Amino acid sequence: MALLEVKEITSGYGEVQILWGSSMYLEKGKLTCLVGGNGVGKTTLLRTIMGLLQPWSGTINFDGKDVSKLPAYTKAEMGLVLVPEGRQLFTDMTIYENLEMGASNQRARPKFAHNLERVYEMFPRLKERSAQKAGTLSGGEQQMLAVARGIMADPTILFIDELSLGLAPVLVLALFDSLKQLREQGMTILLVEQNIQLALAISDYGYVIVEGRIELEGEARKLIKDKHIREAYLGL
Amino acid sequence: MGMTLIWGVMNVINLSHGPIIALGMFGTFFIFTRTGLNPYVGLIPVAILGLLLGVLIYVVAVHRVINAPHLSSLLATFSVNMIIIGLGTAALTTSPYNVDFAAGSFKLGSVTLLGTRLIAALVAMLFTGGLYLFLYRTRPGKYIRAVANNRAAAELMGIPSTRILALSFGLGTMLAAVSGALIATFFPFSILAGASYELKSFVIGVLGGLGNPIGALFGGLVLGILEGIIPAFMESSWVPVIEFGLFVVILLVRPSGLFGAKR
Repeated sequence: MALLEVKEITSGYGEVQILWGSSMYLEKGKLTCLVGGNGVGKTTLLRTIMGLLQPWSGTINFDGKDVSKLPAYTKAEMGLVLVPEGRQLFTDMTIYENLEMGASNQRARPKFAHNLERVYEMFPRLKERSAQKAGTLSGGEQQMLAVARGIMADPTILFIDELSLGLAPVLVLALFDSLKQLREQGMTILLVEQNIQLALAISDYGYVIVEGRIELEGEARKLIKDKHIREAYLGL
Repeated sequence: MGMTLIWGVMNVINLSHGPIIALGMFGTFFIFTRTGLNPYVGLIPVAILGLLLGVLIYVVAVHRVINAPHLSSLLATFSVNMIIIGLGTAALTTSPYNVDFAAGSFKLGSVTLLGTRLIAALVAMLFTGGLYLFLYRTRPGKYIRAVANNRAAAELMGIPSTRILALSFGLGTMLAAVSGALIATFFPFSILAGASYELKSFVIGVLGGLGNPIGALFGGLVLGILEGIIPAFMESSWVPVIEFGLFVVILLVRPSGLFGAKR
């Protein structure tokens, strides 16, 4: 049984339906990616899983329990943690305070010191600047902080929305490296990305979403060689 | 301070601020006249009632319009304002009351200070310091700042934002009630007395930077000094003209307030 089972989800905003029955299964300890172009429903699916948006139909099971209708703040408590698109940091608060806020849920609080050490080791830059306001950081540092804040919540599954968006390639590579580290530490990760090639290159398993439906899925190293994907998305 | 907290954190302009100040005044009055309790001990029940009243107002009137445009929350808090004033007028009439209490007076050179005023100033400073420590050093305080800064992100971190917003509104209301309770020890008051303090709260809040307790104290001092000095040069009816002139100038030059974050 998969750790997270997303079955036949439909959802949208107001009257506009975005998702038309998407299913996805996340295996424990695996790095899975959800890729697709702009505006196909990647973020909507993620927001629905996180409870920021209610599913219209379908179910979401986490660890065998139905969590489809639970509000967002209870998801963190259970171990479902999102690093949102556009980072969404607490810009008026310091780096340290952002990390503290990351560790708000009951599970994460006792592990605060341990997780803090872990993220400082992964991103030494954050340690150097811990008293600085988050809003004053560069884009790459902000993304690091967003990931670090997610780790502070002690996730069972870490969801990352558009890690690479708006960042210089060298920073993107560094951040992807830290994801690999996290996977090696046993974390289950769902990476949602527009940068399809890079995402497939580091993932174990991949889903391709098109117009609100999962069109293709498979092991990432097979997907990356798939003729259709190479033509349609990678322009090769 | 209550005004600046609610405004800065929740982005709600609380038009029920004035009557709550007045309720704080009456709280002190009734506690003092009925039980004979020292008004400063009476601050404690006034504060607790203020907190509960604020949470109640939030749940009943503000929560459903918190994401709506400003006009909705203005109208909602204005309704609360009218309800309190209406009930208050019916029960207490609009004639002035006063708390017959003195805490002696102190001589500072040629200046005589009333004990009640001195204590009020000290309590205000205590509350400013307390609020600052609360917002910057404690977990619920930091949650309030996080929710103010980015509500969706706070929710994702597992912070129950609705409860935090209710708490902020409760605290803001509590501060208003306490300030009313303090003012009641040296000025006569009626149920309508809150209005002029509410207007001052706007000026003070904007002067100091919204959501910043130290800024609010500073804004209050500036306003206090103006009110002390201006009458020495001109008719005291000029005081509000100058105060609100200053208010407009600050809005034009530094809309985030003297202590507000630069944006």
